[in-house]
Amino acid sequence: MSDSNASLPIIDNPGVNRRRFLKTAGATLGLAAWAAAMKPLLDLTPEVNADEFLQKHYRELTPEQKAVVFKRLEEEAKAEYDVDVTISDPPPMENVLFGYALNLSVCIGCRKCAEACHIENNHDRASNNSYICVFEMEKGGIDFEKGNATYDHPVPAPGKYYMPVQCQQCENAPCVTACPIEATWKEKDGIVVVDYNWCIGCRYCEAACPYHARRFNWEKPEIPAEEVNPDQSYLSNRIRPQGVMEKCTFCLHRTREGRLPACLEACPTGARVFGNLLDPDSEIRWVIENKRTFVLKEELGTKPRFFYYFDE
Amino acid sequence: MKISAGKMLFFVGLIIISAIAAQMYASVKQRERIVSPPQAEYSTLFPVKINAPKPLAEIATDQKDAKGNAILVSCQSCHSVRSPNPQNGSAGPLISFHQDLDFVHGKLVCISCHNPEGYYADFRLASGESINPENVMTLCAQCHGPQFRDYQNGSHGGMTGHWDLRKGPRQRNHCVDCHDPHKPAFPLFRPVAGPNDRFTPHQTKGTHE
Amino acid sequence: MVEAQIPSPPAPQKNSAVLSYLGFLRRATGVATDGEWYFYVWMIVLSGIALVGANAWAQQVRDGMIVTNMSDHVSWGLYIANFTFCVGLAAGGVMMVIPAYLYDDEEMHQVVIIGEAVAIAAILMSTLSVVVDLGRPDRFWHLIPGIGKFNWPLSMLTWDIIVLNGYLLINLHIVGYLLYMRYLGRKPNPKWYIPFVFLSIFWAISIHTITAFLYCGLGGRPFWNTALLAPRFLASAFVSGPAFIILSMRVMRLLTDFHFSPKPANTLIRIIRVSMCVNLLMLFSEVFTLFYTGGSHASSAQYLFFGSHGANGLVPWMWASIVLNIVGAILFFTPAALRRENTRIVACLFCIVGIWIEKGMGLIIPGFIPSTLHEVVEYSPSLIEWKVTAGIWAFGLLILTLILKLIASVFSYDLSRKISMKQNVVPEETPATTSMPVETT
Repeated sequence: MSDSNASLPIIDNPGVNRRRFLKTAGATLGLAAWAAAMKPLLDLTPEVNADEFLQKHYRELTPEQKAVVFKRLEEEAKAEYDVDVTISDPPPMENVLFGYALNLSVCIGCRKCAEACHIENNHDRASNNSYICVFEMEKGGIDFEKGNATYDHPVPAPGKYYMPVQCQQCENAPCVTACPIEATWKEKDGIVVVDYNWCIGCRYCEAACPYHARRFNWEKPEIPAEEVNPDQSYLSNRIRPQGVMEKCTFCLHRTREGRLPACLEACPTGARVFGNLLDPDSEIRWVIENKRTFVLKEELGTKPRFFYYFDE
Repeated sequence: MKISAGKMLFFVGLIIISAIAAQMYASVKQRERIVSPPQAEYSTLFPVKINAPKPLAEIATDQKDAKGNAILVSCQSCHSVRSPNPQNGSAGPLISFHQDLDFVHGKLVCISCHNPEGYYADFRLASGESINPENVMTLCAQCHGPQFRDYQNGSHGGMTGHWDLRKGPRQRNHCVDCHDPHKPAFPLFRPVAGPNDRFTPHQTKGTHE
Repeated sequence: MVEAQIPSPPAPQKNSAVLSYLGFLRRATGVATDGEWYFYVWMIVLSGIALVGANAWAQQVRDGMIVTNMSDHVSWGLYIANFTFCVGLAAGGVMMVIPAYLYDDEEMHQVVIIGEAVAIAAILMSTLSVVVDLGRPDRFWHLIPGIGKFNWPLSMLTWDIIVLNGYLLINLHIVGYLLYMRYLGRKPNPKWYIPFVFLSIFWAISIHTITAFLYCGLGGRPFWNTALLAPRFLASAFVSGPAFIILSMRVMRLLTDFHFSPKPANTLIRIIRVSMCVNLLMLFSEVFTLFYTGGSHASSAQYLFFGSHGANGLVPWMWASIVLNIVGAILFFTPAALRRENTRIVACLFCIVGIWIEKGMGLIIPGFIPSTLHEVVEYSPSLIEWKVTAGIWAFGLLILTLILKLIASVFSYDLSRKISMKQNVVPEETPATTSMPVETT
């Protein structure tokens, strides 16, 4: 090089060329080794494609772009799960704010709600995943330390009561604040949703949630074609990609069309009450006004929209 | 170059602050954008239907068939020819019929609810007033007032269908869908399998895959 | 590739600044990749480990995070633990700047650049630790302000991204500028780096504070939700950073021509003595508050120190950390630490490992055990996680080696010139031509 002409004895050293050669060889070898090490990336499923990569945030998509995206997702579901699904996108309803209440006096801990959630929301079959975790609690307090979520004996057991916990759709959702990329946000009807195609999977929201309401897709969900619920929506129960967060959406694909959530319909004891908090005549409002309801971890200031109560 | 470090820092700071301001503005703007759904008009509400209680037509006798199952007999066969004994408070003395009847319901006796004349198809309120099976919920409500109140307000008893009656109907359970009138306490349930998280404590398999 | 050259003696540069800077970079690359056989062995071993890590990471991206042992209950593990430690290392790396400039300790000036180099490597390591923790690294661009969606100022993670990258840039600037000036043979213009040095001091505090805020801002995790977390982070960073620098200086002194006076190391040891006491005191206060009060807030600490519900996976880790920290602190307090090299080195290693456990396995993991709903699900890293983490460390050490080697070459030439001029002795012809300054373990 021109500016290296400050003559140094090393220039004439025959070792230099050898060293240079070795360095070049080493660098080449290094590159080859690097390529070999990264080889597993080539086996990535086709779901990681250019369209997916470049897709904009859900809230920035125009209706036309959404149509394209939904079509692509339907094709992907066909290709990967061999099932014809429809992906809808019901918007929040006017003057609706969803609330949920659960009667702890009548819940018997049968986990029917969790099972219904598992089926409705297209969860991975092997992990038996569900957005609802039912705790067997000791009568005499609300102490989760004495709770047990993995009980397996006829219920209700003596001296116990049962407390299903799912997303509380907090007004002050810590998960929404935590997300560095706005991949999760609160909709107008109070439901906290995730754009599964925007989430980078840092799991900060999972650390932030005080209710263990969020789940991560540690691997690609496996569901037999005949078990897939084909009635899907973009923000709720479509089959999630690998490596993103997911959560309970109060079954917004159902509830935004006026239907009851799947967990409520499955409840054999009628412990669950769902409705519009803005409607003074709704069942949920009656419960809040006439029962002594409470929310979980009220001291955290998350302002949940999921209420628990006991009959007298 | 004559730019002092101080000026340089000032400009860098200025750029950073304006970038911050722009970002804040953009994020606030973003929050303002909300989807508004089309306003819909609803003139009528869909109905709430309550499951009709299944009429009871057969009863177990003390006879067993070849397989050991109780032989069922139509209510008519006895009740059309013999009148019930109002003294009976439980199924115990009934040795040749009502064999599957397990009665655990407070201090009630048969005629607390059943009309002696109408036997299986007719019920009576505490006032003696006769009531037909469709309205039997009123009968339960005589004692279970709070539950009935909760039921009327949608916080007791399961349901399916629509929370929003402007959009569709709702189907509600009847008392007897969940409670056996003769033994109303909820039975024990075998729960559905619990979470199968890889590392949940009850799991013996400690490794993944 | 250009022939391996010693940075030329301050040859007057007539080219434009950009061209000459490029020339500098080119030569720097040459110098930094040239050395004795043990340098190559060291680099090849590091590259090998880094490749194993890269391969493990590629598998993880392909198969999903299922190959880690994290779960929905313990959703962060070894990666974030290592991230936390590396941020501390980066913050601590700059701590030696404080005595150098705030108290005008002239002796410290020459080793400030070592601290900055450690900071650069540590920041790279912490950034990589976060990247490998992402479930969808392919969507990394969502984090870029302007193109993606940056949830700033709400999310603490966005603050962390800003401060970490800013810190990296500041340190790259300081190191690059100082080296470049040495290379040109000019005296660095204080205007162009002193403000940044001061900025980096505050920034160093901010990176570790904000990293602590990541955790202590979460109301649902009582083990983290303590105001003492950020000060504790800083105190431990003031130990691990200087300890790491002492180790680096030791290695450089053994293997390169870059010589230090003993004073800076002793100043660092004094810093460590104080910080370690403060750190242990705060740890003790934390433990007291938790256990004396008791209740469910103490359940994580109960699990960490004594095990609970029959689960005790972290107990040996935590006690090992406490023993290492206390023994390390005692060693630092012996007069021998200021004189005898070996005591000092052992103390540094003890404290680094002790703090690595305390800030990582002992802080991140128990935040998740028991879970927010008090389920006890244990965690121990999988082989893939260990491989990836080892790969990140290998990469970090690789970068650190290159930077330190460059520093040694540039400075030793310069220093030897200075000394020879002072003593009015003609220096041996380019002292380091044949025996390149090399450093290795």
